[in-house]
Amino acid sequence: MATLALDTQPPEQSPVARFVRRALPIVGAIFLITFALIQILPFVYTLANSFKCLPVIGANPQAVIPVPPFGVPCMVDGSAVSASQQSSGITFNPSVEGYQEILNLNLPRWALNTVIYAVTIMLLRLAFDSLAGYALARLKFPGNRLMFLMVLGTLMIPAVVLLIPRFIILKQLGMLNTYQGLIITLAADGFGIFLMKQFFESIPEEIEEAAMVDGASRFTLFFRIVLPMATPALTALAIFSFQGQWNNFLDALVIIGGNQSLWNLPMGLAFLRGAGGETLRWHQFLAGSVLTTVPLAVIFFVFQRYFVEGTAYSGLKG
Amino acid sequence: MRKSRLLVFFMLLVTVVSAGAVVAQDDGVTLQLWGASSSEAENAALEAQVAAFEAANPGIDVEITFSPEYDTTLQTAFASGDYPHVFYVGQARIAEYAEAGVLDTAEGNLTEPEDLYESQANVFTVGGTFYCPPKDFSVLALEYNPDLFDEAGLEYPTADWTWDDLRAAAIAITENTDAVGFAVGADLDRWMAFYLQAGGQIYNEDGEFVFGQDDNMQAAVDALTFFQELREAGALATPADLGAGWSGEAFGNGAAAMTMEGNWIIQYMLDTFPDTNWGVVPLPAGPAAEGTLTFTVCLAVGADNANPEESWQLVDFLTGPEGAAMTAEAGFGPAPARMSAEALWLESRGEVYAAFVESAEFATAPILPVGFQSFRDALNNNIQQVLDGNLTPEEAVEDTVDVAQDLLEE
Amino acid sequence: MAQTLTPSSAVAHGSFMTQADRRRQEALTGYAFMAPAFIILLVFLIIPLLAAAYFSTTDWNGVTPLTRPDAYQSLGVRNYERLLFEEGIRQERFYTSLKNTIYYVLGVVPLQTVLALLLAVVVNQRWLKAKGFFRTAFYFPSITSSVVISLIFMWLFTSNGLINQGLGAIFPNYQNVTWLNDANGVIHNLLRLFGITRAAVGDWASVEIASIRLWDWISGPSVTMLMIMLLATWTTIGTMMVIYLAALQNIPRHVYEAATVDGANAWQIFRRITVPLLRPTTFFIITIGLIGAFQVFDQIFVISNGGPNDTTLTIAYLVYASGFTDQRMGQAAATAIVLFVIIFTFTLLQRRFVGDRAVT
Repeated sequence: MATLALDTQPPEQSPVARFVRRALPIVGAIFLITFALIQILPFVYTLANSFKCLPVIGANPQAVIPVPPFGVPCMVDGSAVSASQQSSGITFNPSVEGYQEILNLNLPRWALNTVIYAVTIMLLRLAFDSLAGYALARLKFPGNRLMFLMVLGTLMIPAVVLLIPRFIILKQLGMLNTYQGLIITLAADGFGIFLMKQFFESIPEEIEEAAMVDGASRFTLFFRIVLPMATPALTALAIFSFQGQWNNFLDALVIIGGNQSLWNLPMGLAFLRGAGGETLRWHQFLAGSVLTTVPLAVIFFVFQRYFVEGTAYSGLKG
Repeated sequence: MRKSRLLVFFMLLVTVVSAGAVVAQDDGVTLQLWGASSSEAENAALEAQVAAFEAANPGIDVEITFSPEYDTTLQTAFASGDYPHVFYVGQARIAEYAEAGVLDTAEGNLTEPEDLYESQANVFTVGGTFYCPPKDFSVLALEYNPDLFDEAGLEYPTADWTWDDLRAAAIAITENTDAVGFAVGADLDRWMAFYLQAGGQIYNEDGEFVFGQDDNMQAAVDALTFFQELREAGALATPADLGAGWSGEAFGNGAAAMTMEGNWIIQYMLDTFPDTNWGVVPLPAGPAAEGTLTFTVCLAVGADNANPEESWQLVDFLTGPEGAAMTAEAGFGPAPARMSAEALWLESRGEVYAAFVESAEFATAPILPVGFQSFRDALNNNIQQVLDGNLTPEEAVEDTVDVAQDLLEE
Repeated sequence: MAQTLTPSSAVAHGSFMTQADRRRQEALTGYAFMAPAFIILLVFLIIPLLAAAYFSTTDWNGVTPLTRPDAYQSLGVRNYERLLFEEGIRQERFYTSLKNTIYYVLGVVPLQTVLALLLAVVVNQRWLKAKGFFRTAFYFPSITSSVVISLIFMWLFTSNGLINQGLGAIFPNYQNVTWLNDANGVIHNLLRLFGITRAAVGDWASVEIASIRLWDWISGPSVTMLMIMLLATWTTIGTMMVIYLAALQNIPRHVYEAATVDGANAWQIFRRITVPLLRPTTFFIITIGLIGAFQVFDQIFVISNGGPNDTTLTIAYLVYASGFTDQRMGQAAATAIVLFVIIFTFTLLQRRFVGDRAVT
């Protein structure tokens, strides 16, 4: 494909082309930064408003710059402090009342539960989904195609309609309102199997055939050779599973909804949101949202470099 | 020697203890109580009331579960056949649950049932059977901003107001101040009050759904025309028009001088707009009658219950004279559903909110038949279309009634 | 026993397996690998699906306990008839939801695929500093719970919200748009600019197909629906970008280097090399995108509940509304099965046209 051209001098470029070439990175950077800002701006607003008292959120939701005094109280002498005393324009005095209120609830417990669910389900999915994905991609067995279609099919069902039948099944199995109930139900998913299958199919067969010639069994092949090559896909799957389960509400509602000490953060957040939209205590709710989002962001930031560093694709050379 | 005596003593101890445990288990009943989660303070108040009940009834333990997405969770529990002893039922769901046969009836299980406001008991009476008593309730009333009224040089609203008074004041305020006279959403849960005030019925004596039909058609048209007139004079705005999430917000920040909201606005104003002065009177009377809408939830006992007696004891405590007094003292927005507790509530919440309890007399719950979500959507949309000038009131009512007929035929 | 030795097995030391033996071993390994995941899917997804299919043939209301013998009656295919073929409010709502969902899918899926690919390519550039920051920033909306995002979105887009304020500052004659309560179809709005309205077009536009006027079929998504589409796109491109990033790592650097040496510019590299090599991933992303878009529910639930005027009513939301608000679980199950068939068909079609073949 690639012939080494000895004459590597690029053709002469017009001044316009040269200008465009030089301007492109700058324009590109501006575009990127703007876009990145758009992505995180709503979160910035959430963060800012979680540190305000209710009247300030109502009157000046756009205030994002905290100014001293910090840590102002929201109630003075039994009545709420008015917004004008704590904010103006885009500045405001931050208060921690929202955070204090939610920490008085069961939030730490819910956070711990969320971690338990997310980590366990993620690990199980990494194991089960990659095994199944590999089998569907590379192994021949009767029913291979049918099983794949069934796996794909599980993605096409609106989850809402499965709520009641699944609830009844779990009830029969005695798994309602238990940790294992939620974990086992979600320990494998069609999305992950599909992801891994696609990935394994993109690995050239020559590698595996070479190993099999050397006498490796399928198991050894999978664990020693194929799986290490799948680090980017596994990392992606790990991130999705972790994040998906961190934010899982519907399944948690039905399976562990009956026992508050088993709740996860989305359940807690919905609980905070309460029955009435109008009586929502915004600073409490936004504080809960912040506490739910920040750990995920940190974890993602820490692990996303494995995309680049984990890819020892030495593969087959040319 | 000592060892065997010790052994005998130990075995006796074990026997006594386990016998005691067995006996205790026979007496001890654990009830499951499910509710929707409201504000933290209200949840805590319920827990306190339940604790008082447990103290007064040593053999009964109550486990409370607050559920977000309460309706979904409760329905799932019904479907599986495994549902709690006691649970809250909203007025939107009472007919369906009664029909599905998952509710026990309240006859003979309550202390002094006549003490309940009649309108409240009616909400939870289906086909002549009274199922469950409400603990507290909210009604819509007319909130007004006295500062804006002063600015326009008008007298404050009173309990004797009629549609004409409301119309005049709304227009005058719109013309003489920056604020709009009246803020209300294009919502069945608000507009229906005007339909009732114009003499319209939602159900007839036989329990049939008769909205907008025959004699009721004129009432619906009148109520829509009232809205239309206000709108054309620029005196009526929806929350969306004013950039607010709901009418209460528009009212609180002074964009509107009057609105019609329920008891929930009390705490909201105190929390979010502490500087805004406001007063409240019952909704104005219409051409035919006084009328308002009520929103309430009842405490129901599940049918096929393993412990019906204890369950009713719990319900009776929470909604009876004792429970109502505790609710009143807690001083939340919704008022207790018993007349005997009225004075207590006014004392703790504030005498200025008398309008909310005075309106209980002529309150009706805007309940729709099962499966009428499309009707609700159609009516809300048609109200908006009338406000936007795309439909006449007659056309709007006709279309809505058509949808109702369609749904009733199913 | 005849032993057919393949060249490779002849080389393998000490293992004289027949073809049949190898096949059986491979099959057993296959089942063993599949077992844990498949059993879980079977018990917790496939069997409930079959149960739902069964309920779709009954009139169960979703409330009456199933332990009661009289909980429901069998209806055969009546639910499907009412949904698909009989004139009436149910049919109207179903086809409205179908129309809305199709507009949604046609808008969101191409948009999110293209944007995700562009973002991944850009973030992957060697010259880009602070990659970690950018990757995290782009991924941010995806990790925030959809409920929270929807609520914030609502707050931003109210009549006096920040979006309108910002647009008002930029465009002098700007009229506040009620983004989240506008039922006008965008295609209708566009046509109106050219003076084409239903009245102008003629009577044929009022002909009803499946209870919906022809004119209304071509309304396009409503303004509110458009907002929700943008919200969904904005939320999901982070996830898809991550998938594309993983796939991009698999393209060896020397491929790009060789192309650059050959004199190809960035655009040519992108078009001729990157895109074709990413084909299996694109197929995956489009499939996942289709499946997700057809099932859009969360945002509708929080923001609009199907309104205004049923213009954000999607099929998945209709399933919820039928089953839990209208208490017609049999009907809801039938709607869900129809949706399932639709998604399945679309996915198969997509496989045929976009193709699943890995590029060697």
